[in-house]
Amino acid sequence: MAEVTKMLETKSTEFDLNNLLKDLPKQIEKIREIRKLVLTDAVLLGEIPSPTFNEEDRIRLTVDRFRENGLSDPEIDEHGNASAVLSGTEGRSSILVMAHADSVFDVGTQHVLNVGPDTITGPGIADNAIGLATVVALPKLLEMLNISFKDDLIFLANTKSLGRGNLDGARYFLETMKCPIRAGICVEGASQGRLSYSGLGTLRGEIRLEIPSNYDWNRFGSSGAVGQLTRVVNQLLEIPLPKEPKTKMTLGGLTCGTTYNKTPRRGTLRFEITSEEDQVISTLKQKVDDLCEQCSLENGTKVYLEVVATRPNCGIAFTHPLVKTTRSIMSDLGVTPEVNPSTGDLNVLIEAGHPGVTLGLTTAENIGEENESIHLESLPTGIAQLITLLQAIDQGLCEL
Amino acid sequence: MTGDNQKWLDQNTFHHGEFWDILNLVKEKEKKGLTISLCIPTLNEEKTIGKEVLILRSELMERYPLIDEFAVIDSGSKDKTLEVARSYGADTYLASDILPEVGDKRGKGENLWKAIHQLKGDIICYVDADISNIHPRFVYGLVAPLIKKEAVQYVKAFYDRPLNYSSGLRSSGGGRVTEILIRPLFSLFYPELTNIIQPLSGEYAARREVLEMIPFPIGYGVETSHLLDLYEKFGLDAFAQTDLDRRVHRNQTTNALGKMSFGILQTFINRLHSQGKIDRIPNMETFYRRFEVEDGAYNQLIQEVVEEERPAMIEIDEYRNRTVQS
Repeated sequence: MAEVTKMLETKSTEFDLNNLLKDLPKQIEKIREIRKLVLTDAVLLGEIPSPTFNEEDRIRLTVDRFRENGLSDPEIDEHGNASAVLSGTEGRSSILVMAHADSVFDVGTQHVLNVGPDTITGPGIADNAIGLATVVALPKLLEMLNISFKDDLIFLANTKSLGRGNLDGARYFLETMKCPIRAGICVEGASQGRLSYSGLGTLRGEIRLEIPSNYDWNRFGSSGAVGQLTRVVNQLLEIPLPKEPKTKMTLGGLTCGTTYNKTPRRGTLRFEITSEEDQVISTLKQKVDDLCEQCSLENGTKVYLEVVATRPNCGIAFTHPLVKTTRSIMSDLGVTPEVNPSTGDLNVLIEAGHPGVTLGLTTAENIGEENESIHLESLPTGIAQLITLLQAIDQGLCEL
Repeated sequence: MTGDNQKWLDQNTFHHGEFWDILNLVKEKEKKGLTISLCIPTLNEEKTIGKEVLILRSELMERYPLIDEFAVIDSGSKDKTLEVARSYGADTYLASDILPEVGDKRGKGENLWKAIHQLKGDIICYVDADISNIHPRFVYGLVAPLIKKEAVQYVKAFYDRPLNYSSGLRSSGGGRVTEILIRPLFSLFYPELTNIIQPLSGEYAARREVLEMIPFPIGYGVETSHLLDLYEKFGLDAFAQTDLDRRVHRNQTTNALGKMSFGILQTFINRLHSQGKIDRIPNMETFYRRFEVEDGAYNQLIQEVVEEERPAMIEIDEYRNRTVQS
C-alpha cells in the first residue's frame, strides 16, 4: 500500500512539473519582452562600485528598488544585507532567493558598463550585477508574468561574500533569520547551466613575508622579498596533493614591490586550497604553516600564514528532489548542467541546514576582468529557469 | 558679487537630488497638463546610445511616465547607432527625413531644430548621446524646474568638474572652451550670463514656445546662441540650471576644441552684430567672473582684471633723450 501511495505521489509530482514546464516557452517570450527591466537595474546597480566591505551605496539602491518593485518593508541589517519579503497567499514557509552584492573591483575601477545590442560589458556585470539585478527585479517580473506564490519569497542582497568577506553577510542573515526556509536559490550571473548543490571545503589564505630592518644582507642565500616569495611558491608547489579525494591548490595573486630598482622588503601571496575532504585541508594547512616557519627560521625573515576564509564541505545529494527538479527544468530548456561544487554563498545556506542550489543566468566572457561581458540572448532562458524552479519549490515538488 | 546675482543663483540653481521623487514630478506634470519629449541627437554613437535608450526609456517612460515621447534624431551615422537605438525601443529618425522641404544641413543643431517640428511635447529635453554614466537624473533634473516653476523657460545642466580640491574649496566651471573662451567673453559683454555655470553643456530642456521663436545655428554655436537669444528676449529670470553631479564622456583633442571655439566665435560675433553691440560696444567690463563651490553652495567670484597699457617707448621723453645722447 505504501509503495502504491509513493508511486502515485511520484506520478503527481511529474504531472505538476510537466504543467510548469509546458508554460516555459511562453514565459521566455514574455521575459524577452520585459527584460529591459532587469537590464536597467543591472546597469544602474553595476555602475555603483561595491567592493567587499563597501557595499553601502549599491545596497541603498537595492532597497529603493525593492520598494519601487512593490515590496513594502525592505530592511538593511547590521551586516549591511538588504532583504525584503513578497508575501505568499498562505505564507506557511519561505523560499530564499539570494545574490551577493559585492564585487571584486575596487572603487578606483571605472565602473562604466557598455550596452550593445547583444551584450553588456564592464567590470562586475556577470559577477554579480546581473544576478543581483534579477533578484531585485524579480517581484516586478512575477507581477508582470502574473505568477503568485503560496510561500513567502524572501529576497536577499547579501554583502561580504567574496574574498576576506568570507560569506559573513549571508552567514549573519541566516543565523538571525527567524522564518522557516523551505529552500534557497543562490543566483549568479554566470554561467548558464551552472548547477551547484554542494559546498566545497575551502581555505583561503595569505602568506605574508616581511624582511626585518636588521636583516643580514651578506648572509648565504639572502635576497629581497621577491626572491624569498619565489622560494615559498616553489616549496608550495612541491607539496603533494591527493587525487582522491579531489584536492586543488590555486596560487591566486602575488603582491610585492613598487618599482624597478628598489628591493622590496614585504610581499604577500594569496592562495586557495579546495578539497572534498575537510581533513585534507586541515593537513595541508599544517604543511603551509610548517613551510612558513621553516622559511622564517632559515632565512631570518618573518613569514606567516593568515587564514582569511574557510568553508567546510557540505551539500545535498545529487538525487535530492531539488537537484532533480533543477535538472529536469534545465533539460527542458535545452541547457546542459555543469555540475560544480560552490565555494560561495551556497555553503552557508546548506551549512545552516537549508536545501539549496546555485544557478547561473546567462553565458559570459572575461569574468573577473574589466571587460567582463554577458550575452543578452540567453538571459530570458536563465530567468525562466529560476522562476520555474521557484514555482516548483512552492508547489512542494522539491521536498525529500 | 551683486545681490541680484546671488538671489538668482539661490533661486534658480538646483541639484538633481531635490527632484528624486519622480512619481511626484509625474503627478505635477499631469496636473499641469504638460507633455515632455526627449530628443537625443546622434552621429556615430553606437557605443553609448544603447545604454542611454535602455536607461531613460525604461526608467522615465515605463517605470515612471515622465517622458511622453522619446526620439533619436540622427545625422546619418555610418555605424550601428540607429540599429542599437531601435533594439532598445527608441523611435529613430534621420534628420534629413524631417522637413525635407527646407533641405538638409549637417550638424547637431540641425537635429535639435528639426526635433521641434517632429516632436509634440510642450517641453523638449535634449541629451547628448556620448554620456557614459547616463542616469535618469540627466532628464528629470532638467525638466523638473520647468514643471515646478512657470517663470522658468530654459534649464541648463552643469556638472561636477573637480579641478582643485584644496582646503575644502574647489573651482567649479566648464570645460576648456568655457573657461578660456566663453567665460571671458560673457564677462566682457554679458556679465549676467556668467551666472550660468556651464553654458556649453549639451543637456538642456526648454518650453516649446521659446524654442520655436529662436534661430538654431546647426554647428558648435547652438548652445551659445540659445543663451544669448533667450537672454535678449526674456532676461536671466527665464533661465535655471541643475547640478547633475558627474558626467563621464569622451575627452576632446585640443584641435577639436580649437575648431569648436572658432564656430562658437562666429555665432557670438553674429549675435553682437544682430544685437547692435558691435557698433555700440558698451564700456568694457573689467570684472572676470568664475565660480567656486564651498560646502555645496555656489559662489560667483569676481576678480578685477584691468589690462592697463604702457605707451610705445618711443613716446617717452626720457627714452628719446637717451637715444639722442647715445
